[in-house]
Amino acid sequence: MEDLLQPMLNGLLLGGLYAVIAIGMTTMFGIVKLVNLAHGDLMILGSYLSLVLVSWLGFNPFWTLLAVVPVMFFVGFFVQGFLLNRVLGKEMEPPLLVAFGLSIILQNLLLLIFTPDARSLMTDLSIKTIPLGGSVNLPVLYFVDFLIGCAVILVLHLFFKNTYIGRAIRAASDDEIGARLMGINTKNIYAYAMGIAMMTAAVAGVLVGMTFTFYPHTGPQYLIIAFGVMIIGGLGSMKGCLVGGIILAEAQLIGAQFAGPGYQLLIGYLVLLIVLGVRPQGIFGKV
Amino acid sequence: MNKTLKYRWHILGLIFVTLSTVPIWGSDYVLFFCLLFFLYASMAQMWNLLVGYSGLLSLGQQAFVGFGGYTMAVLTNYYGVYVWLSVLIGGLFSVLLALFMSLFIFRMKGIFFGIGTWVFAEILLLWFSNWKYVKYGTGLFVKPATPPSMSTIYYAALIMGVGTLITVFVILRSKIGLGLMAMRDDEEVSEAMGVEIFRSKLFCFLVAALITGTTAGVLYVFQIFIQPYKAFAIDWTIVLVFIVVIGGIGTIEGPIVGAFIYVLLSQWLAEYGHVSLLILGIIAITIMLVAPKGIMGTLQEKTGFTILPSRRT
Repeated sequence: MEDLLQPMLNGLLLGGLYAVIAIGMTTMFGIVKLVNLAHGDLMILGSYLSLVLVSWLGFNPFWTLLAVVPVMFFVGFFVQGFLLNRVLGKEMEPPLLVAFGLSIILQNLLLLIFTPDARSLMTDLSIKTIPLGGSVNLPVLYFVDFLIGCAVILVLHLFFKNTYIGRAIRAASDDEIGARLMGINTKNIYAYAMGIAMMTAAVAGVLVGMTFTFYPHTGPQYLIIAFGVMIIGGLGSMKGCLVGGIILAEAQLIGAQFAGPGYQLLIGYLVLLIVLGVRPQGIFGKV
Repeated sequence: MNKTLKYRWHILGLIFVTLSTVPIWGSDYVLFFCLLFFLYASMAQMWNLLVGYSGLLSLGQQAFVGFGGYTMAVLTNYYGVYVWLSVLIGGLFSVLLALFMSLFIFRMKGIFFGIGTWVFAEILLLWFSNWKYVKYGTGLFVKPATPPSMSTIYYAALIMGVGTLITVFVILRSKIGLGLMAMRDDEEVSEAMGVEIFRSKLFCFLVAALITGTTAGVLYVFQIFIQPYKAFAIDWTIVLVFIVVIGGIGTIEGPIVGAFIYVLLSQWLAEYGHVSLLILGIIAITIMLVAPKGIMGTLQEKTGFTILPSRRT
């Protein structure tokens, strides 16, 4: 039991990071009913943008958020406004394929510019731990990830509840035609929503970059994690997102404790498949 | 219009005779080009059957590519099975894999089905790269007791290419195909009219697994070397998406045209490495935005031109 406390604590904290990786994709799914297959790659784009600022200007990765988050808003706004909106329609394949094409382009563009080397955003937090008694330590960086993850979800929740654009986005997602009759330009609203989703992806990208190493090709791996969180937590649900992230991360880390670290990813995938097979609407989703 | 239909079989026959005599008159480059063209056309035809006709958005065709290829390599290397027999067994093993997968993923729809198939392929990648029996991630050299000659491999590829085309044509002109097209237009109504949606979809999924696995076997006999990070890579699905989108999704001719363009482009761009994938991605997005029905789909819409009509008139 003593051995399990550390992976359980790490899993809980990592769950917060997983939630912030997934929240942008879940939000967009809730609004446009489409999965953005390039979500992971756009997030990694955020990591690389931060890397550029860190290595050129010597900023602390946390400060780069001030630049990366707004830039990613515009990236999202243009991706939705100029690419995805043009293929939105009755059929679901075209937007998926466009997003898939975007994912290929981003991966190979990053590969071309940054080479396939492993990168990470250096901070002095990564080695710090706080002893909690016994053999259990609180990894400070994971704790920061968790806190920022929760904060992002809270801010997003308040934004959708209290601001004009937030309410317009919800209106457009509930009833597109109704929203249009009320004078909302829904296509424009989707672009704003994507911009906001990409702001959360930018935060996720910077946190992932500080916590793990990343490559141009790591995007799809995080897409699958985001997808797992979304499935387990229930589609389009924000609270479910946090719970889904924690369940997935706990399953991975506790599983890795028993089966060995090489199986961490595999166990995450198996949990995802089981949930998909048993309850495709997710644990917290409504039928 | 009627004139082209009248001479259709003559033209197709001429093309077939030309292609089947390539080892006699063609240079090594032509042989190599046609071989890859058949194999990619065959796999793309299957992805098109799933996505364009059955509404099964598979993002995990690489599961069957890797599984079929590895079955072939293991049987040939470890058990001394005759190489073409092991290619066929590879296809059958892919069907078994597809049956097993269907237990989990046939409850999902649309993108969930897609991610489900993708996750399966990722699991296979992790499994094979951690599996001592297949030498982990280092991969296997395919070493048949008597290595087949280039022209034998060419004919195997030709059989896969033409065989797949005939299979798809027969399926689409059959009762199942009619049902699939009705389902594509309106799922609820077609089900009410008696289309057995689940069985038709499963049938297509299994056929696609069989042919993709077998085609992959032929490909790896040709390439001699198989490795999990390549065989189970999402790159396979990327290529199939590109071919089918460019050629025209939901048409029989589309994958053929797309495969030809893909093989040609990938030969030209080969020296640029990863830039080639970048350019393929840009072309695919541009086509999706400008002509979402692809080359053959747009051509059919504008002129009504089809070589192999999948709809009965």
